[in-house]
Formats: sequence, structure tokens, C-alpha cells
Amino acid sequence: MTHVAWRLLRRALINLWRAPLPSLLAVVTIALALFLGGAMAFSVLGARVLLASWGAQRTVTAYLDRALSEEQARAVAERLRADHPGVEVVLVSPAQALDRLRVQLGDLGGALDGLSRNPLPATLELTPRGGGDLRALADRVSNVGGVAEVDYGREWVDRLEALGGALRGFGTASLALLAVAALLVVANTIRLAVYARRDEIEIMKLVGATDGYVRAPFLLEGALQGLCGAALAAAGLLAVQRLVLPRAAAAFAFASGASAPHLAAQHCAVLAAAGALVGLCGSYLAVGRSLRT
Amino acid sequence: MIQLFHVTKRWSDDPPVLDDVTLQVEKGEFVWLTGPSGAGKTTLLRLLFCADEPTSGQIVIGGRNVNRLSAGGVPFLRRNIGVVFQDFKLLPNRTALENVGFALEVLGASDAQIRERAHKRLAQVGLAAKAGSLPLRMSGGEQQRVAIARALVNEPPILLADEPTGNLDASLTDSILQLLFDANARGATVVVATHDRGLLNRYQRRTIQLHHGKVTADA
Repeated sequence: MTHVAWRLLRRALINLWRAPLPSLLAVVTIALALFLGGAMAFSVLGARVLLASWGAQRTVTAYLDRALSEEQARAVAERLRADHPGVEVVLVSPAQALDRLRVQLGDLGGALDGLSRNPLPATLELTPRGGGDLRALADRVSNVGGVAEVDYGREWVDRLEALGGALRGFGTASLALLAVAALLVVANTIRLAVYARRDEIEIMKLVGATDGYVRAPFLLEGALQGLCGAALAAAGLLAVQRLVLPRAAAAFAFASGASAPHLAAQHCAVLAAAGALVGLCGSYLAVGRSLRT
Repeated sequence: MIQLFHVTKRWSDDPPVLDDVTLQVEKGEFVWLTGPSGAGKTTLLRLLFCADEPTSGQIVIGGRNVNRLSAGGVPFLRRNIGVVFQDFKLLPNRTALENVGFALEVLGASDAQIRERAHKRLAQVGLAAKAGSLPLRMSGGEQQRVAIARALVNEPPILLADEPTGNLDASLTDSILQLLFDANARGATVVVATHDRGLLNRYQRRTIQLHHGKVTADA
């Protein structure tokens, strides 16, 4: 059986070599579809990491009135601790808040040295110990005297998530369209190949070749085109990762505290599988139709 | 070996191309199938190698009812039937040896087996020296010899030939027919379709005459 498989593979390679232009067109289309699909998947993955890190905050932040003294701020904190025994209340003084910001800004933290006064108010960070409804807690805390503003983070994260969901839907639909386009191009390329080799197919069938044997080289051609397309797409994604991502990574890490997703071996395997699948399906469609006719 | 029972073949509403044909060809027989153009000779051969299906009637080949064969079973039946055409049906971009070996490729033979058996067949039809030639660089007679070598390389028990000498001049016709007689002498059942009355007179064998799709004589 090995020599049959090798013979079929050899035939598929020869056929690709004999019709380089249609094959190249199919490879480029698959590569384009996979590249765009991959880029979209990485964007969605990155957005998810970002949203997860933001959405993971289970804390209500209460910004205290700037007019409160340190003593008064402590009193507000004590009062909240008494009213909400299930909630951990941490007082962050303006100086501590400035230090945190300096750490978050990293190399840019030096810019804070130029400030004539600390613009940050004292804040209280309230974290329910057993989880709980942040919105209800935020509502209650906002009515406490000395609290100027309350932020529990979810509101805009929810909006971002909704936006992310819409983008994901759009991305999935675009991806499906790209996959169908690639599939059709492969199918047409293989159909041309089938047409060009109709005499060969007729003779193959005449001398007793099974449909599977007739189909196999075309399926292999499709799969090879898919794999070549996947390799091109992976190369493109790697290039983008090398050239573009380093600039975006710093901003990403600053925004989420996590590193941006990178193209790994398993992603390449997924790309290869997707490419081969598109190629296989396209050629199966084309050869199936041609064999029937 | 080959049995047809009330076989009719009709394309849409046209008059039948074959009309209630019943005949039997014994194992090892050599049979001429003759009749004018449009008599149904080619259609009958096409039914025998399952290129078409009969509209009605039964065809039994080697004890297998063709009507009951699944699509997957057809290739395996065809491996028992060698077919030779008037227009040779050779692949132009393959050498004579590769054309002959092509029939063995699909059966899964190894490269060494293919080379050996294809060479042997080419030698048998007198073309050992042309093994590396492309069909377009060969004469019509040589191309038909290659086609016969391909049909016989698998040693099928049945050989069908559709006007195998139709494109050849008289001097080549005899040598081509001799190859078919040789295959018959080795035990193959041979059915040759021809409209050439001269051949039938020169080589007297059982002759089935078709006219307008009907068997009008069988002697």
C-alpha cells in the first residue's frame, strides 16, 4: 500500500507542478483567508484577555471627597466596615494611589514628578469576601457621606463586552465568507485540473480504477494547496508578530497586565489543519461533481 | 461468459439503440459484432463494460449480473475486461511503456512489477523498442498495438474491441487482428465490433449482425 500512497502523492505533486498558476491562485487565496482568519482570531483572543483582566476586578472603588482629611477618610472607612461586615474595606491614601500609578506607568512614571500637587483623591476599595452584587454595594456606598463618586468597573466592561461580542460575530461571519471563497477557488482550480485530465480519468476508470483511486490525487492536491496556504499564512502572522506586535505589546501589557497572545506551535497546527480541510473539501466538491458527470 | 437477455437501450423518447437483444458468448469464443453505422455495436460494447446501463433486460458477465452491481463493484468487473478503441485512447504525455503500465498502476502493482509486465506485453505486440516513445511519435498501427498491450497487460478473460482497425490501412489491419486472435488463442473471450465486411470474409468466425438495434443474424 505504501507504494500506492507514494504513487498518488507523486502524481499530485506532478499535477501541481504542471499547472502552477491555478495552484498558486488557490494557495494565495487560502493563505489570505487563513491569514485574515488568524489575525482576527488573535485580535479576539487579545481582546478577551484584556476584557477578562478588566472584568476580573471584583472591587467597588469609592472616591472620597477631596476636602476630607486623612482622619475623616479613616472614619468613613470604619463606618463602611461596620455597616458591611462581609466586605473588605481598604483605604488608599492619595500618596499610595500616586505610588501605584507610578508603578503602572513604568518608564513613563517619571512624568508624575513634574506635578505640583497630587491630583488623586483618597479612595476606598471594597471587596465582598464571598462575592456578591457589586452594583447594589456601589449604590449603597454612593449614599454614604464623604463619598464623592463610586466606580465598580462593570458598566463599561459590559459595554466593551457587548462591543466585543458584536465584533466576534462580525469576525465569525467574515471568516465563514473567506473560508467559502477559498473553498470555491480551490474547487474551481481542481475542477479545471479535472477537466484538463478528463481523458486520463476516463482511461483510469476504463481499466478498473475505483472512484477513490481517481479522486485521491485531486484530494491530495487540494490538501497540499491548503497546507502551502497555511504555511504562507503562518509566515505572514509570524512576520506581523515580529514587526508589529513588539510596538503594541507594551501598550497591551500596560492595559491588561498580561502579555499579548503569540503564535505558538499549536496555532500553526490549527492553521495547517484548517488549510488542509479547506483544500480537501474544495477538491472533494469538484471531483465529486466531475466523477458524477 | 457473456449473456444478454432481452436487453434494450433507449435514449429518452428516441427509437431504441438496442432492441430486445438476447445473445450468449461462450468462454474462449471469438465473435465478430457487425452491422452498419448506428446499428448499436458500440452501444452494446459500452453496456458490456458498464459505461452505460441497459434500459431494460439483464446482462450477465462471468456469472455476475451487471444490473445488480453496485457503483463500487463496476471497477472490479472492468478489471476482467480489456477494451480497445478505434481512437486508441492513449495518454499523449506518457510513453508507450507508461500507457501500458497505467492499467497496472490502478490495480496497485509495484513499480517493478509494472515495468516488467508492461515490457513483456509491449514485446508481445512487437514494440519493445518503442517503450520510451510518446504516442504522437508513433504510427496509428503502433498506437493501436500499445492500446492492445494495455488492454491485455492485466490478462483479462474478456477482450472487447470497438472498430480496432477502423483508423488503420489494410496492411496494418492484419497484424492488429493477429494480436486479437493470439489473445483468443491464449483463452480470452474476444468480441470485435466492425463494419468491415472484408474482415468477416477473410477471417471467418461467429458473426452477430445488428441492424437498427436488433440481432438480425447470428452464425
